[in-house]
Amino acid sequence: MADNQKAVGVSVPRIEAREKVLGRSVYVDDLRREGMIWGKVVRSPHPRARIVHVDVTEARGLPGVVAVLTAADVPGDRYVGPLVKDQPILCSSSVRFEGDAVALVAATAEEVAETARDAVRVEYEILEPVLDPIAAMSPEAPQVQAGGNVASYSKLRRGDVEVGFRAADVIVEDSFSTQMIDHAYLEPEGAVAEVDAEGKVTIWVCSQYPHYDRQEVARVLGVSLARVRVIQTTTGGGFGGKFGSPLVSCYAALLAARTGRPAKVLYTREESLRTTVKRHPYRIHYKVGATRSGKLTAVEARFVGDTGAYLVVGRAVVGKSTSHGAGPYEVPHVKMDGYAVYTNKAPAGAMRGYGVPQVAVAYESLLDELARKLNLDPIEFRLKNVLREGSQTATGQTLLHSVGVAETLERAADARREMTPHLKTGKPYLKRGIGVGVSWHGIGAARSPSQATAYVNLCGDGSATVLCGSVDIGQGSNTLFSQIAAEELGVPLDQISVVTGDTLTTPDCEATTATRVTYLSGNAVRLAAEKAKGTALELAAKHFGCLPEHLILARGKVQVPDAALEISLTDLFKKHAVQQISALGVFSPDCTPLDPETGQGSPHATYGFGTHVALVEVDQETGAVRLVDYAAFNDVGKAINPQAVEGQIEGAVAMGTGYALSEGMIFDRGKILNPSFATYLLLTAADLPPVRVGLVEAPEPTGPYGAKGVGEPSMNPVAAAVINAIYDAVGVRIRELPAVPETVFAALKTRQPLPADR
Amino acid sequence: MLSKLREFQYLRPRSLDEAEELIQQFGPDARILAGGTDLLVRMKERGLRARVVVDLKAIPGLAGIHAEPDGSLRIGALTTLGDIERSSHIRAHFPLLWQGASCVGSVQVRNRATVGGNLCNASPAADTAPPLLALGGEAILRGERGERRLLLEKFFTGPGRTAMGQEILVGISIPPNGAGSSLYLKHSPRRAMDIAIVSVAVRLDVDSQTGVCGKASIVLGAVAPVPLRARAAEQTLEGQRLTAQRLEDAARAAQEAAQPIGDLRGTAAYRREMVWVLTRRALVEASGAGEGSTFFQG
Ligand SMILES: Cc1cc2nc3c(=O)[nH]c(=O)nc-3n(C[C@H](O)[C@H](O)[C@H](O)COP(=O)(O)OP(=O)(O)OC[C@H]3O[C@@H](n4cnc5c(N)ncnc54)[C@H](O)[C@@H]3O)c2cc1C
Repeated sequence: MADNQKAVGVSVPRIEAREKVLGRSVYVDDLRREGMIWGKVVRSPHPRARIVHVDVTEARGLPGVVAVLTAADVPGDRYVGPLVKDQPILCSSSVRFEGDAVALVAATAEEVAETARDAVRVEYEILEPVLDPIAAMSPEAPQVQAGGNVASYSKLRRGDVEVGFRAADVIVEDSFSTQMIDHAYLEPEGAVAEVDAEGKVTIWVCSQYPHYDRQEVARVLGVSLARVRVIQTTTGGGFGGKFGSPLVSCYAALLAARTGRPAKVLYTREESLRTTVKRHPYRIHYKVGATRSGKLTAVEARFVGDTGAYLVVGRAVVGKSTSHGAGPYEVPHVKMDGYAVYTNKAPAGAMRGYGVPQVAVAYESLLDELARKLNLDPIEFRLKNVLREGSQTATGQTLLHSVGVAETLERAADARREMTPHLKTGKPYLKRGIGVGVSWHGIGAARSPSQATAYVNLCGDGSATVLCGSVDIGQGSNTLFSQIAAEELGVPLDQISVVTGDTLTTPDCEATTATRVTYLSGNAVRLAAEKAKGTALELAAKHFGCLPEHLILARGKVQVPDAALEISLTDLFKKHAVQQISALGVFSPDCTPLDPETGQGSPHATYGFGTHVALVEVDQETGAVRLVDYAAFNDVGKAINPQAVEGQIEGAVAMGTGYALSEGMIFDRGKILNPSFATYLLLTAADLPPVRVGLVEAPEPTGPYGAKGVGEPSMNPVAAAVINAIYDAVGVRIRELPAVPETVFAALKTRQPLPADR
Repeated sequence: MLSKLREFQYLRPRSLDEAEELIQQFGPDARILAGGTDLLVRMKERGLRARVVVDLKAIPGLAGIHAEPDGSLRIGALTTLGDIERSSHIRAHFPLLWQGASCVGSVQVRNRATVGGNLCNASPAADTAPPLLALGGEAILRGERGERRLLLEKFFTGPGRTAMGQEILVGISIPPNGAGSSLYLKHSPRRAMDIAIVSVAVRLDVDSQTGVCGKASIVLGAVAPVPLRARAAEQTLEGQRLTAQRLEDAARAAQEAAQPIGDLRGTAAYRREMVWVLTRRALVEASGAGEGSTFFQG
């Protein structure tokens, strides 16, 4: 911004805040098109079955019904998926989970579509479902997918764990299991599709990755990418669930292409809970060793991620657990074996944290156990082992910069000290305890190449438009892009227009996932703006006969500060017959892929870190756990919009506490029993204390203004901190999430002698 | 599964007589609508099809809290739980009811939900039921043959079932509460927007001079087909000095009376354990044997 105003590092309000608050933002559900039809999906009631016969006669005959489609009606490819194409748009021969799609109906009114959906008769031969992921790994188990139930295997080998455990004075070992949870965004999945007179298809969809939706829609319709345009509507949350799940777009597109009428498909909450991607439930076994002086010597782990009926991104999720499974610690000997396994359940996919929250619960629990055995304070113990500048990670990557984890721990120690006076409760059955969780998260997907692209068009009046493919799903990236462009171009924020979420006008920037938008796309925007400014300054340098380095651009004018001279961009552009300056920014992080045999490499250019401190109260007689106080310290490199970062962290604490204490899909023989927010228990405002957020800024030299990211790193340590706090309060180790009252009650019943009363 | 509301006939009678006529006319096809927080959810679920919905909200006089000179209380069936929560009279003189009403759902739900709906829906976990039973409340019912009164204890006949015929609940009458001490405890994983795993309302008349317990009421929620009055437990206390042992005995008796089922919110075994924990805790707090102020989880 101009003069001494800055745009970066300032908590500016969201660009779209006013529209949202006034209820003017347009969500998929708000869209109505002339002649629009409603689509509904016919879904399997069985987790595993052979489709014997589909009878659509009755449904087709209902007044108002305009289409009933089965797999045979799909004009192009019938399978989708971001890594492997294993998920049928509509199943033709077998169904693999309760909710798998079998047919698609459309009618002129939603009620009629519902009736038609229920009138499609499907005859199934019911088969015994594969439900337990461990049993599924046996070669004798029935096959969920033709290639076998073990979908992926990722390894990490560093040093020799035998040697490491021999060097250890204390070894702890335990098993954990985590549950399947849903993203539970406010807005369920939905899309509207329309075909124009030339046969081009436009989709409006709430999405984390419109360009991917475009790929899948084009494949499914059998048309070229250029004939499909995907426009992202205001998106009410994503958290990973609105990436890699292009089905809703494909359904709307299929119906529009088939009938020539605009078509809307909007999932109900129940459909969203039952059928869209989930967080992988994990079975985990860990063994950790340390010396008497408190140095970690070895970590060995094996975990199985239940990826459900389709892979989606299961291989990458489990891979992230493998590369992050030793935590943000220096460990000389590490062995990790991670498996993604198919079962007959709703597919698991990407969800905030991507395989790290699961393993963080396990290793952070065991670090607390080790600290206790070693008689060391949990924070002191971790400080002896955390990564610092110059440390090598378990993948053998040397971290040269921006390793703020020790500082997050030091600040956590202060927070814990402030919480300590609040350990008293005044009721004998209520016990309080404090727990700490530490975690890390590599920024961006663990692969190369990965790239972000942005255009900046600088206009004669100094204002600019930014075009970028990374979409804002509620986390605030459009505002961030405007801050970055404003900072570079020296204009107030209202002089920047940000265009995202339209495949026709924006470059494919990959998905809004993997905590990558600030770092990758933020860099691309910054580079494009810098280049546009550079071009303007070069023109001006010619004009003034000086070096561009001596010039500054502010509020649409190029100034020579020393000589108190200036020229407006308008005049400058006129002089050189320039209409606007367009610049392309491309950023690719510096990573090397992991070796498939050893898991060694530099999968991420940089990492976000965090230490969280939870104060919980446990009712020893009922098992109920309440979060009383919470402090979160995250190293974000640089907070470009501090309030937005705080918002991310507060949201992560709510989400992570729900993961620890209350959320979970409950199954009975492969069928989900709680596909409703009345029984799938998200925590409410009444259950959560205010979160004290502490930002640590260890600048990342390759990040925009030093920034890294915060979306996932803030989520990863939450459940670990809460579970450790429960132990501190009542001396029971919860190994099975969620710690609902009955689970804690059962653990309390088997508790060894009570810890000394506080 | 929730689906779109199907078409139904919506009727809005202006008087009780008119409402009663409609109910006679349409019989089981008609559904009474108060706040709709139970009814509409069930109509969107596939189970309940209502052809005719009779909305009581246009009938004058069905909402309101009336403190009678003798200390008794009359509450109109259409009184919202929010109005009960905001009533300083109820908070001061019938704290048990105040506690039950204020822990239902959320502010938004309470501003819509009525006390009549909470009772007529007849969920074993309805949060106003144990308090109203413990307070000795009576249902005032209006039918073809005029008005009748029925002790709330006799009102519930099973999950979703009541002793009402083709009648309308017009109000609830509660006898004077005197100096009784009471407490409602609700055990639910969430502190808002959650149905009880187990709940218990206790009310004790303890003579401050002698320490002897007069009338005792112990009513359990969510552990039987109906909100359950634990008579044996009450008898353990009545006419006795309240020692810690007695309170424990009463809690054991309550536990024995419970007939819980297992569901998503908890197994039967856990519910049984919680009856003991909550009843004992409520008795200890209400009898003044506990330390500190009353514990109330809302
Ligand atoms: C999100 C949510 C959270 C909830 N949380 C709780 C909770 O914590 N605790 C709890 O107890 N309940 C809870 N409920 C249930 C519900 O809100 C209450 O039971 C409420 O009091 C019902 O009142 P209503 O006026 O909305 O009833 P309605 O839905 O209008 O009616 C309920 C039933 O009673 C009948 N009825 C209503 N009034 C009369 C009358 N005067 N005469 C005869 N029949 C009548 C109706 O025909 C219907 O069968 C919750 C509901 C929701 C949606």
